[in-house]
Amino acid sequence: MNGKLEPKDILGLIARLAVGGVFIYAGLLKALAPAEEFGYAIESYKVFNAQLSLWAAYTAPWLELYAGLLLAAGVFTRLSAAFSGVMLLFFEAMLGQAWLRGLPITSCGCFGSGYGNSLAHEFTQNLVFLALAWAAFKYGSAYSADKAVETL
Amino acid sequence: MTDRKNARLAALAGIIIFVSTIAVLLARQFNLGPERPAPDFRTFGPKTAPVQIYEYTDFACPACRHAAAKVDEMIKIFGPGLRVSFKHYPLLRIHPWSFHAAAYADCAGEQGKFREYAALLFETQEKWGQAKEKPKEFETYAARLKLDWPKMQACSEAPETHKRLKLDMAEADLKGVNATPTFFVNGKRAVGAGQLVDQARKFDNLLRAAKP
Repeated sequence: MNGKLEPKDILGLIARLAVGGVFIYAGLLKALAPAEEFGYAIESYKVFNAQLSLWAAYTAPWLELYAGLLLAAGVFTRLSAAFSGVMLLFFEAMLGQAWLRGLPITSCGCFGSGYGNSLAHEFTQNLVFLALAWAAFKYGSAYSADKAVETL
Repeated sequence: MTDRKNARLAALAGIIIFVSTIAVLLARQFNLGPERPAPDFRTFGPKTAPVQIYEYTDFACPACRHAAAKVDEMIKIFGPGLRVSFKHYPLLRIHPWSFHAAAYADCAGEQGKFREYAALLFETQEKWGQAKEKPKEFETYAARLKLDWPKMQACSEAPETHKRLKLDMAEADLKGVNATPTFFVNGKRAVGAGQLVDQARKFDNLLRAAKP
């Protein structure tokens, strides 16, 4: 179906599955927990007020889950990868400003409330995922639904 | 050709979104998500106990008082086989002081006397449950248990305390809890003391194996 895979295709496939998998995991953990829990985590970044934080907590986990599933399956791969990248950039901005301001955040809320890495750790980890999202955008078409639909 | 391809992909995306949404909503209803731990002071029994019970309760609810006695009895009988985590679900519309009672009980817990304070609240729920003004019983019981009342008052108004209670309530709502007491016995739902005992019986072999 995809012919012989080149190294860049393998990189793209791995990147797509990695970023998609992380988004699915993070989205699921938060969608299965009370939104208020994630809402409190968002509030601790001191960017949004309580009401906006709660609205963000209601929507973000579902967006993460859908983006992750579509990216992993390779449905509208470039669009899904770009959307995941934009979300990662947004998370990075939130983490970065909190890190610079020295906010006392014990749980970043990234993977639910039980997950408590330092902001610096999360910031660095997100950079890796951003690079992977870029690789998925650029080379992520191997074994994707996009390709499968083309051959139908 | 491109239009047809995009239409197929859009249909596939729709199916993925629809199926995943239903799956998550069902997982919530069937309590498949991770359980938020209760604070140590309202958790009784060893961490490794084979039967884990999460109890959503309201101090002003008569059925919860009855169930609390049953739970105490079960803890005595099954000892290390059982771990009970107590979670608050005050029914704010019918019990005006339940939220306060839950906050004071947690604050008593921070001073090491959650169980004793909770027992007093259950015992006398008719006295304070429907009071017109803030019940004096909260302070009386604190004095009876030699608790630091000013500290308890400050604690009961602290945002952290309220946040903890609201998260318990939000979690219960997410799991579709709409009556008290509701239990989750190793993830299986039971409403009321009768169903609790029925559910616990299903784990009888585990409970007996862990008996001292």
